[in-house]
Amino acid sequence: MSFELKELQDSTRRVIDAAGIAADESELWSQLTELGWLMVTVPESLGGLEAGVQGACTMHCELGRGLARAPYLPAMLALDAICGSEQSERDTWLEQVFAGGLITTCLAECSLHVSDSRLDGSATGVQSADSAQHVLLWTDSNDLVVLVDLRKPGVAITAKPTWDLTRRLFDVELDQVPLSEHHIVAEGESARVMIQRLAALRDFYLAADAIGGAQTMLEMTIEHLQTRVQFKRPLALFQALKHRCADMKASIVAAEAMLFDALRRLEGDLDNPQFGIKARGVKMFATTMFTQVAEDCLQLHGGIGMADEHPCHLFLKRALLSEQLSGSGAAYASNLALDLIENSGNLQSGKCA
Amino acid sequence: MTTENRIEALRQEVRAWLESNVPTGWREAMTNVEQDAFVAAQRDWFVKLSTAGYATPHWPQGWLGGGRSLAEQKVIFEEVARADAPRLILYFVALYHAACTLFECGTDQQREKYLDGILQGKIWCQGFSEPNAGSDLASLRTKAERRGDRYVINGQKIWSTMAQYADYCLLLVRTDNSGPPQAGLTYLLLDMKTKGVSVRPISQITGDDEFAEIFFDDVEVAVEDRVGEEGAGWAVAQATLASERGLTLVELTQRMRYALPMLVQSMRQNGCEHDPVVHRDLGKLIANVDAACALADQYLMKRIMGDEQVGDASIVKLFYAKTLREFAALGVRIGGLQAQYYSGFMRGATQETGHWTLDFMNSYNWSIAGGSNEVQRNIISERMLGMPREPKSWQLAEGKA
Ligand SMILES: Cc1cc2nc3c(=O)[nH]c(=O)nc-3n(C[C@H](O)[C@H](O)[C@H](O)COP(=O)(O)OP(=O)(O)OC[C@H]3O[C@@H](n4cnc5c(N)ncnc54)[C@H](O)[C@@H]3O)c2cc1C
Repeated sequence: MSFELKELQDSTRRVIDAAGIAADESELWSQLTELGWLMVTVPESLGGLEAGVQGACTMHCELGRGLARAPYLPAMLALDAICGSEQSERDTWLEQVFAGGLITTCLAECSLHVSDSRLDGSATGVQSADSAQHVLLWTDSNDLVVLVDLRKPGVAITAKPTWDLTRRLFDVELDQVPLSEHHIVAEGESARVMIQRLAALRDFYLAADAIGGAQTMLEMTIEHLQTRVQFKRPLALFQALKHRCADMKASIVAAEAMLFDALRRLEGDLDNPQFGIKARGVKMFATTMFTQVAEDCLQLHGGIGMADEHPCHLFLKRALLSEQLSGSGAAYASNLALDLIENSGNLQSGKCA
Repeated sequence: MTTENRIEALRQEVRAWLESNVPTGWREAMTNVEQDAFVAAQRDWFVKLSTAGYATPHWPQGWLGGGRSLAEQKVIFEEVARADAPRLILYFVALYHAACTLFECGTDQQREKYLDGILQGKIWCQGFSEPNAGSDLASLRTKAERRGDRYVINGQKIWSTMAQYADYCLLLVRTDNSGPPQAGLTYLLLDMKTKGVSVRPISQITGDDEFAEIFFDDVEVAVEDRVGEEGAGWAVAQATLASERGLTLVELTQRMRYALPMLVQSMRQNGCEHDPVVHRDLGKLIANVDAACALADQYLMKRIMGDEQVGDASIVKLFYAKTLREFAALGVRIGGLQAQYYSGFMRGATQETGHWTLDFMNSYNWSIAGGSNEVQRNIISERMLGMPREPKSWQLAEGKA
């Protein structure tokens, strides 16, 4: 890890540790925006830190460690799109974000179409839509990215309470919403590239978040095992439990290596289609890993793990939701397989039995 | 030239060389092959690769092919994997365990005596494990008694890979019983032709007999063939064991990645190319293989930067061993009944041959040898995660063996 990334990591960790696990959403949000953290990937020329996707993932990892509630993940995605926009409105949008305004986006499915200059359709998994001014969405035909004002007629938001208590999701419905020039972020080919890029970033960010969550969960569990005494000895002495911790550690480290390895290889080449498939692999691996870790860690806590007052369940619930956001593990696994099948035409003879 | 350009130039050079030198059809040729032909084929490839300087990039400056940076070594290993070259299993112990031990702990005299021989194709084996000393290596009992300028050895080693072909052996013996078990060990270099040495190959579940027992009956070894001081064998053995970490796993994880299309080929052959359940399993495996490659890579980078920490190597080995098993297990499932028909064995191949049941059997190599998965988990949990060690004292219940 480079020096700059290490610094970013340390400063994020300090703030998140001080805030505590799953700290209050609005407090953390104001802190985040004041510290300029949404600006990690924003180019220096636009007033950002220009720390790249590696920087963003380093931060998401730290935020994930604290099960942070604030909608920084969709906000950073929307901001990434805005920075890539060639429209004249770009700077107005940026100012809105710099002033602490939230532009959210969809973490699940977005289905929109345009007819007669009007937008119809819906989006699911829109985080903290009730506190946002705008939502960034895209059309099914992949040739239009728009910012929709959530307070305008024709836009309806519905809260969708989740088991995960650390993120608030909404459905957004658009019914004949007039589409004005002012709200177009990208069109045509540049929209297509932007949508692909957003999908990949969303996967990488969710993966980073999951890695952070798994790290804290395992640390907490080991601490619990070290202090909880049964049969006149700390539970941490039982090898059956030690080995499970070792396996969890290995898969957390593996997920982390996989994420940062992919970013190192692809960072300069975000529009490469390989970026998307890599991101899916990493997202699937990391979020499934998080669920497995959270699942096992709750078990290792015993009864206290099932008590609402203990944070164990917050990790498990966040993990389960993350596994479904963006694209499910099952769907991504098929994507990876089909990609391999497509790209492994006929092997040279001699290679295979 | 910048470092990056130099590395890229090396990559192109190695790739071009491999393209014109990797023996074609070696997999077919090594299937159900007789031992002599296997030894000859390994030797041919060894001579080619070492003459070109690509067998010993990890050796120090001044030796043929040596003096490469870790980054350069990595490129060579990646390319060897990419080219699907035969794996030099007959020379593995010589090139790594023996050489690294001699470089790190040997005397100049010993280096002079043995290293040229390795480059000329002498074969080495490792004689550490015993019937009663496996994971608990320090409890080994093969005894060496000092008599003048010689040690006289009696005892038995087991599971020694390729011992039946070996010219020399890295031998760990007990010279003292008085102190803690580690303190009484001594490290010797043994000529396998010495009087009193006998080797009995052990037939493996794969049908091959790649490892063997070695028996010692008053075998004499000169004191100058001792590595390190008497009683310092444990520390020397650590140098031997460390030599197979790092680069080897970069090569093996890369080979696993390049072997993924074999699974697709089997899917086509067995008509499950469109089976969504198989797609899911395959997709998960692809991600695991990717993670294993990234782990091996990251581990090597940490070593290049001097950042290696206790347990890092265990994580890489454990994760690789588990992924390798999953790889072969999926092959067995895809292969269906076809994979259950006996297809013989392939000598000197990689871990992935496409004979899925054979590969499945062979995947135990990595989960048992060189510190089993369980032993790695102990290291990770105790030395990395700070969990307590097993209590030492324990007694057999009355009347039990
Ligand atoms: C293919 C192959 C090649 C080999 N080549 C060589 C060679 O060239 N030279 C050489 O010297 N040796 C070699 N070995 C031997 C190898 O190092 C040993 O097999 C290994 O150290 C395990 O020892 P063991 O077989 O006695 O099993 P044991 O130590 O008896 O272990 C049996 C089981 O108990 C588990 N176990 C043991 N201790 C613990 C513990 N503390 N906590 C939890 N579980 C534990 C193990 O993981 C294993 O599952 C080879 C082995 C194999 C399989």
